[in-house]
Amino acid sequence: MTDSAKKILISGGTGFVGSAIVRALAEKHPNFVIDVIDQSPPRPEHVLPERTTYMQADITSTETLTKAFEAVKPDIVVHAAGIVPDLAERWGRRLEQEVWKINFEGTQNMLDVSKHSGVGAFIYTSTCCVVIDDTRTDHLNINEDRPLSFRSTIYGESKAAAEALVLKTSSSKMLTCALRPSVLCGPGDYQLVPSIHACIAKGETPFLIGNGLNLWDVTYVDNVADAHVLAIENLLTSRTAAGEAFFIQNNEPIVFRDSCLAIWAHFGHVPPFEMHIPKSLAYFAGLACETVTWLMGTTTTLSRGSVRDACATRYASGNKAKEILGYEARIGIEEAIRLSCEVSRYHKPNFFYCRTHRG
Amino acid sequence: MGLIGNALYYSFHPMELRAIIQWKVWHNPPHERNEKNETENQKICFKFLDKTSRSFSAVIKELHPELLIPICIFYLVLRGLDTIEDDTSIPLATKEPLLRDFKDILTQDGWTFTGNRPEEKDRELLVQFNHVITEFMNMKPEYQAIIKDITEKMGNGMADYAIKAENDDASVKTKKEYDLYCFYVAGLVGEGLTRLFVEAGFGNPALLKRPNLHKSMGLFLQKTNIIRDVREDFDDNRRFWPQEIWSNHVDNFEDLFKPEHLDAALNCSSEMVLNALEHAEECLFYLAGMREQSVFNFCAIPQSMAIATMELCFRNPDIFKRNIKITKGDACDLMHKSTQNLSVLCDTFRQYTRKIHKKNTPKDPNFLKISIVCGQIEKFIETIFPTQSADAANRKVSGEATAAELQRKREEDENKKDVYFMMALMGVIVVVVASIMIFAAWMMGARFDLAFKEITSGNFRPPVKSQLEHPEL
Repeated sequence: MTDSAKKILISGGTGFVGSAIVRALAEKHPNFVIDVIDQSPPRPEHVLPERTTYMQADITSTETLTKAFEAVKPDIVVHAAGIVPDLAERWGRRLEQEVWKINFEGTQNMLDVSKHSGVGAFIYTSTCCVVIDDTRTDHLNINEDRPLSFRSTIYGESKAAAEALVLKTSSSKMLTCALRPSVLCGPGDYQLVPSIHACIAKGETPFLIGNGLNLWDVTYVDNVADAHVLAIENLLTSRTAAGEAFFIQNNEPIVFRDSCLAIWAHFGHVPPFEMHIPKSLAYFAGLACETVTWLMGTTTTLSRGSVRDACATRYASGNKAKEILGYEARIGIEEAIRLSCEVSRYHKPNFFYCRTHRG
Repeated sequence: MGLIGNALYYSFHPMELRAIIQWKVWHNPPHERNEKNETENQKICFKFLDKTSRSFSAVIKELHPELLIPICIFYLVLRGLDTIEDDTSIPLATKEPLLRDFKDILTQDGWTFTGNRPEEKDRELLVQFNHVITEFMNMKPEYQAIIKDITEKMGNGMADYAIKAENDDASVKTKKEYDLYCFYVAGLVGEGLTRLFVEAGFGNPALLKRPNLHKSMGLFLQKTNIIRDVREDFDDNRRFWPQEIWSNHVDNFEDLFKPEHLDAALNCSSEMVLNALEHAEECLFYLAGMREQSVFNFCAIPQSMAIATMELCFRNPDIFKRNIKITKGDACDLMHKSTQNLSVLCDTFRQYTRKIHKKNTPKDPNFLKISIVCGQIEKFIETIFPTQSADAANRKVSGEATAAELQRKREEDENKKDVYFMMALMGVIVVVVASIMIFAAWMMGARFDLAFKEITSGNFRPPVKSQLEHPEL
């Protein structure tokens, strides 16, 4: 089934994750016809294979979507488009409407249009934030039985609602599944490595918030792309993934502080000393910052939320993706960090790029 | 350390002293050997056990009676084999057949060996080996077969190694060779013991289907010893650290011991620790298959000692200078924790893994790899003993409470009610008692009206009676 030529439409296909999916698909299934829709045109930092066609489309507008779908007539849809608020906005509510419009309504539109145009398989790029942004519980070695949280961050809530909708829609006519990657790194990543790298210039590297024991499982972008290819193959063959969600990660949990230290070491920096800041103190400082910015109407990097992020333990067991999709990380975390840092060394990161990045 | 030294040490390390006392006072062996029922021959074997092993004899003697003799004999047989192999004065032509045929010697009644050089430490064991053989022949045939099989494999491995050492360089080159060497000296023992446990019904039979688990048990212990003893072995002209690892850090093995190469040596030792830590997860997995307390203790004690030793050696420059050991207090604490259950042992492993992780530095080229292996151990422990179940998380997110939580809440409410009632009752009593006292005072003629007037006019103290003066006195 997978060897016959299929037409695939990928939303958000010019973005960080989207373009990686396009590359992985083109490599593994050269006979597939790949069409990319995105708000922004292809960018030099996210290379697309030559045969890929690009169409400008806004997922929040049903008309443009319908036009794109009529032109392509896809068999399979990968919905990777979405908005990730950047760190300063992550715990705020300022962008709530915009985030919901793109992440939830956009997904709803994609589902509706896909159903009408007879799409057979629909893969949704969700996020682990649908579960882990709820700070009321721990997230050690979690599995997919954990509840979706509708009371977390604007991003987590909007993605959770969209994911629930996608999975509910799964039927024999159109099979759906959702992949929940953890925090991503890779060449062209504009959030994780650049913001950790920026700590060197700001002289923040010696400060360690919390106990320094919290594990994170970061994912390399090409591994997430592999998971998407596997999900497509599954829905075309055994269909055991239909209606299911999967945590996708590198399956190498390491202490968050260590990934920072490793990244800094790549840039030739070792913190001259280490100073522990108790979580409660940092939390209080976060609260103070939030109060000031609330009065001034601006945003802050240091907030109670970002302190919680830095101290949280977040990793999943990863067994379900292994058993059902046959997913295993092809690129290990050590290699992943090296590759991410190498690119960042040449492209000076611009942190304010992509404030409303889609894809 | 003399008595004063000890007193001084323990007054600054009270926790260690506490651990020692706790172990000595509170440790209850699951089984104790019953000397009354033992034959003379068995007594002699136990005497040899005490002589040849300091660390193992105590745990062996606490084993379940079913396995007490077989494991004691297994140990002595391997020790005998080892004594032949270690002796450099025996020519290869004599040594090789002895090693290869040692399995048949086990059934030769009355066999003894006097060919060891006089300074060989355990020479006496082979001189009186007939006692071990007698006991071996008295065992169940199933146990005999297992011990014989392992003796054969190990004897052949040792003979191959001896030939290699005679003909060419026997130093360990690749990591694969290193693993193979460790397998012959320790992994095989793990296999034999596992088969004995399963045969006796004290181990999960599934353990036999996963040979990598018992292999890891042996390799983890052996690799720890090899890391710890690097200096001692070097002084005895033996090198077990594989070239594949040390050549990443220094040009010559000797450089590891030179102060000017200390940084490289430390990085090399941490790569050795990394190589060993990769077995830790499988060791815990193996221990989950133990079905009897004394067998669990027997396996768990050396493992927890190993992880603690690993932590001690990790990035410790002293390993290149002298032989280091965990303190007696720590050893007692570890023994205490290894004789409970798997959950306690996992906590110990996690504790030492975190200590290792804490010493890890980004200056080390294997920084991230060590961090990953520590993370894997933590994740594995979390898999067998989860901190929070999905159900509990579900309830927390949905705000539902379980029956137990509701019950607790009800009890708490009742307790609160009781407290309020008690407080009210006390209040009433105070009021009643106070009124009675005031009434009694009034009956006896207290002038509250005057007192009240004085207070309202601001005189809180009783009027001072003017002192009578007695100038004449």
